[in-house]
Amino acid sequence: MSDPVTATEKSSDNPILWVAKPMVTAARQFAKSLVRPSTVIYPYERLEDPKFRDQVRIESGKPIGVGPIWDNYRGVHALNIATCISCNLCAFSCPDLCIEMVTVPGGDPKHPKKCPQIDYGKCSYCGFCSDACPEGCLTMTTRYELSVTKRSEMVYSPQKMFGIYEQKLPMHPIRVERPANEDQILLEPPLCIGCNACARDCPTQCITMLDIPKPEAKAGEKVPKRIWKEPVVNDSDCVRCGTCINVCPKECLFWGNRK
Amino acid sequence: MWINMGPQHPMTHGLWNLRVKIDGEVILDCDPEMGYLHRGIEKISEDRHYNEVVTLMDRTCYVAGFAWEHLYILASEDALHIVPPERAEYIRVMCEEFQRIGSHLMWYAAFVQDLGLMTPFLYGMRDRDIVLDLFQSYSGARMTYEYMRVGGVRNDMPPGFSAHARRALDWLSDRFVEYDRLCLGSEIFRKRCDGLGVLKASDCVATGVTGPMLRSAGMRRDVRRDRPYSVYPQLDFEVAVADGADVTGRYLVRMEEMRQSIRIIRQILDWLDHHPGPVLADRLPRWLGAPYAPVGKEDYVLKRNYPKGVGLSSIEEPHGEAQAYVVNEGSEHPYRVKFRSPVFANISAARHYLIGYRVADIPPIMGSVDVCVGEVDR
Amino acid sequence: MSSATLYSVSYFLVNYVLTHIGSVLPAPLNAWITNGDLVTGLAVLVFGAILLGASMINTIVLIWWERKLLGRFMDRRGAMHVGYAGLLQNFADGFKLFRKNTFRPREADWLGFFSGPTAYLVTSFVIFGILPISSGWNSGVLPLSLLLALAIFSFAPLFIFVSAWSSNNKYSLMGGMRSAAQMIAYEVPLLLAVVAVVIVSGSFDLTTIVYEQQNYWFWGPLFLALVVFVAGMLAEMERIPFDLPEAEAELVEGWNTEYGGMLFAFFMLADYLRALVGSILVVLLFLGGWTMPTWVPSAATSFPLAGIFWFMVKTYLVFGLFVWIRASLPRVRTDQLLRVGWNRMIPLSLCAVFLAAALVLAKCVWPFGCLPSMGV
Repeated sequence: MSDPVTATEKSSDNPILWVAKPMVTAARQFAKSLVRPSTVIYPYERLEDPKFRDQVRIESGKPIGVGPIWDNYRGVHALNIATCISCNLCAFSCPDLCIEMVTVPGGDPKHPKKCPQIDYGKCSYCGFCSDACPEGCLTMTTRYELSVTKRSEMVYSPQKMFGIYEQKLPMHPIRVERPANEDQILLEPPLCIGCNACARDCPTQCITMLDIPKPEAKAGEKVPKRIWKEPVVNDSDCVRCGTCINVCPKECLFWGNRK
Repeated sequence: MWINMGPQHPMTHGLWNLRVKIDGEVILDCDPEMGYLHRGIEKISEDRHYNEVVTLMDRTCYVAGFAWEHLYILASEDALHIVPPERAEYIRVMCEEFQRIGSHLMWYAAFVQDLGLMTPFLYGMRDRDIVLDLFQSYSGARMTYEYMRVGGVRNDMPPGFSAHARRALDWLSDRFVEYDRLCLGSEIFRKRCDGLGVLKASDCVATGVTGPMLRSAGMRRDVRRDRPYSVYPQLDFEVAVADGADVTGRYLVRMEEMRQSIRIIRQILDWLDHHPGPVLADRLPRWLGAPYAPVGKEDYVLKRNYPKGVGLSSIEEPHGEAQAYVVNEGSEHPYRVKFRSPVFANISAARHYLIGYRVADIPPIMGSVDVCVGEVDR
Repeated sequence: MSSATLYSVSYFLVNYVLTHIGSVLPAPLNAWITNGDLVTGLAVLVFGAILLGASMINTIVLIWWERKLLGRFMDRRGAMHVGYAGLLQNFADGFKLFRKNTFRPREADWLGFFSGPTAYLVTSFVIFGILPISSGWNSGVLPLSLLLALAIFSFAPLFIFVSAWSSNNKYSLMGGMRSAAQMIAYEVPLLLAVVAVVIVSGSFDLTTIVYEQQNYWFWGPLFLALVVFVAGMLAEMERIPFDLPEAEAELVEGWNTEYGGMLFAFFMLADYLRALVGSILVVLLFLGGWTMPTWVPSAATSFPLAGIFWFMVKTYLVFGLFVWIRASLPRVRTDQLLRVGWNRMIPLSLCAVFLAAALVLAKCVWPFGCLPSMGV
């Protein structure tokens, strides 16, 4: 670490002719701006236009230009309904509670397909939902124009977000890697009653109910009344949505880490 | 005659009230009143996951979001006993220094506009936009980044970022010359600002004033150097100090700090180019991983696996010395979060540097304090 | 061209229309409608209406000009959307203000509150009847037109103070106080600088002053007077760096804090009318009015309305200078402003007067040339 400096000593910009320096500076900027001011005439030009995106330009009088990394912008969501698995992770991870899972056609009557519906009046564009989405079907796009005349129009239904998906906007290419050793779904076997609720509701169908041997009744003890099956989680397919934990009637599933 | 400057007044740059007692044009007494922008961020934080609190940190000080994210993340990593990868630390420090430039440019824009000059306002905003472009290129947002995570940062820099950032730094360091010509080179500016709002170093210490105000009084105190946190010990930079203790001194200190920030960022970009690696810690609690799921029925697991703790951090925020205190009781939410806002202390001391000056001096003096009401009221 | 004054044009128009109306009317009405007094009266009204329209349009275009110039100084474009390059933006703004509700604070004094802006606008507008825009505009009508113009110009602090006081607001009152102090302080050097011009040209008539600049414009030999005049004009027009009566940083909007809608539009219009008058006075007194130097090719000065054209070009360029100053200087403080006004500007303007007297004595000054014949 070098010696600290005094800012006053470094600056030698003293006035010449009272106001000559600022006036010359302003005039120089005037001459530069006559050619091309830095502003973008918004409704007619946009930052996502090719002329701003093709190259990053920082030159005199023209300091704007995000370039292709503009695509990282976190704007309105796009939702691919076809690949959505109704795992609820987006709704859970939303800090503003603006995501509601609503039924969309396509599921079977017993287990309706549910996709996120986002209220942009509450959304803070933090991107936690698209980070959490295990299938990559909920992404954020570069679309940023949201003005509507009614508050109810701020609520984007899954179909509307699917429409945005079909526009094929640049979609937030930064993908967040999943942590190397995540917690897994673990089972507390004595509590399980083999009710199949977890396997039934698992959005990725990664839980299979395997038969277990029915123990012999010991003297003085009753054999517990249950279905003699136990869930086994296929860890590579599991998206860690926690649905099985939530539906388990006996609270025998929990998060843990065996590694 | 008492007049209320605020809560809605062009001088306030936010939402607070400065009651001033004047005799003609001379200030006899003043009384800053804060609390109009209280959003209960500390209380809301007790109800959020550790990572979700980051969304609130961006809104704590809306012109220095990265600094507050870094502050909170340092404290909660301290409380959770998590060590981030070194590359993540470098990226965070780069964010913080870019944020210092952005915040000081915002200050420059607002401060010179208080003097009645609109031109630097637009120059400052134009050049701040370049910094925001850089932020957007890797975090995806221009003001509310939500980029840092407990245990690292969300993602690595995109390809080509380094060259883009270097070009932006070149552009910015040229602009600072222009700023100095517009302000220091103007006789009217010097007449307005020299010897204005003097707050001596002893008064600064007595009232808890920190940051550029303290350094403009000739006191060489900077948390980055005195109690180095993060990777600052590895970086070479100088602490800007002026001796006027007045508005011009604060201007000089902030301008010099921006130049030093550019110097720091250049070193960090060099380091980042040669040290690829992970940006998120390996063994994180599940609810801290970037895609995290709800916590359900697992309290006993948490309390078994993760030790409790208390985290304290202190950083040199653009406005001064900020501190955070996070209590971890072993759940997925912080048990208590408390911040120390530098601006709160700086504007609370208004009586020490306003009395005796004129009404027309209030905007430049309060502008030189760099008020950010978001972090005052929290 | 020189004979076609604005008044004669309007008299001709009124006379023409009334004669034709009179020719179809029955006998007693016919004589009444073509009588000379009625024609003269109507001609004055038409003259005023044309002047009002022209000055209002010019003022609004002046605001557009300032916005565009300021935009380029600030690395942006200024108004862009309404009309070509935003030319109609200010008309739209004015129309919006016109449609807005005019209200006053309950505790405000209604007479002062409403009469202040109106009188301010009217007095600012009246000056346009005095200023000659082109040769023969109102030549010989007013031998003391310069004095009259400046006298009306200096009414403003009174009306500003009335409206500031009557709006019953602390900020307004402070703004009004500042305004009054500043205008009175800068009235003196402004008039002394004008005295220098009057000494050299030997006349109070603006038309004569312009014709006295046929050999050389006064800005060269009377440069000191020009500097003092421009500085004083900036203070009189309340523009940056001397806009502290409406210093928006500390006084919200100064003396027009409580005004909205059409009354605010009155203030805004009157401010820019005064800015236009200031620019016109600089052109008339120092930049040769509508005349052009002899080296300018005659094709550029002989087309129809060339005098008005060059006059407007000069006026807008002078206003551009004010915009340039606004774009590069911060606002000064009240005490500094008054100190500069009394301690610097008045001695400087006295020097300018002495220099003018010396110029008159010397008759010829290198490199400018000789004075034209003295005399009124």
